Amino acid sequence: MSEVRTLIVDDSSVMRKIVERSLRQAGLDPLVVHEAGSGIEGLELLKAQPVDLILSDINMPAMDGLEFLRQLRAQNLAPGVPVVMITTESSEEHVKQAIQAGAQGYIRKPFTAEQVKERVLSLLNAA
Amino acid sequence: MDGARRTAIASAARENGGGEEMECTMTCSLRESVDMVSDPKNLDASVEEVFRLMLGVNCRRYKGPAEIAEPESVTAVVGFGGLLSGACVFRSGGTAAKKIAAHMTGMEFGEMDDTVKDGIGEICNMLAGAWKGKVPDLAANCGLSIPAVITGRDYNLHVQAPEFKLHHTYRFDDASFEVTIICDGLQ
Repeated sequence: MSEVRTLIVDDSSVMRKIVERSLRQAGLDPLVVHEAGSGIEGLELLKAQPVDLILSDINMPAMDGLEFLRQLRAQNLAPGVPVVMITTESSEEHVKQAIQAGAQGYIRKPFTAEQVKERVLSLLNAA
Repeated sequence: MDGARRTAIASAARENGGGEEMECTMTCSLRESVDMVSDPKNLDASVEEVFRLMLGVNCRRYKGPAEIAEPESVTAVVGFGGLLSGACVFRSGGTAAKKIAAHMTGMEFGEMDDTVKDGIGEICNMLAGAWKGKVPDLAANCGLSIPAVITGRDYNLHVQAPEFKLHHTYRFDDASFEVTIICDGLQ
């Protein structure tokens, strides 16, 4: 597999590390990881760094994950790049909101590395 | 402590304050399913799930207080807002907190630094999300606040006349911790 440039957006540095570890366990290698602690930071980073995959939390201060996703689409940043939401929110309504905002995948916390692998690889293979 | 919890709860209520979820808040009620919402098995299942999936450890409930008699303890609070208002509270001693963070990150921690606090906040966030996810009406109509984390010594959490309260103690390896669900309002 060629290099996978990934943006992980989460206000928790521990969760960013866990997601990165899960991606490496999924066999994404070589993997280049960019980290953002908020949606605002994520948008700024995407203006300078092209990526192949975005994973974002939803509940974050300043700008939540859904607004980040809406802004991402409105500003046409990272067109065609798959976005996976990783969140504690698990209701059908939250999944619907994420898909309406432009997400292609949804992973509920707590998660296993196997779940991350399955979701991410299917999206990257389809892209 | 009460102030931090109120801030967390207010934040949850603000986040939950718009759109379709708010419309449902007007028409749905959890009053008739209070037995399901307050079922202690849901909390045990949530704790077991979060620790097994995110830390790779088996966690068991036990009777008796958690061993928090340490110079420093940590408390994380995630507020609930919407059909149910209240909070999920995680509390442990510093040693247990560092062990949890070590399992999460694969790193060793000599002191209760920002990474440990961040990890405990996330554990509390996942516990709150997993617990409310056990009841479909709660999952759809109850928002979560951003975690608030408090460290220190000689402090108590006090809530006046909650609707219901679940207070359980758990152990993994040789570490113990407490998880409390406080419901102070149910629609």
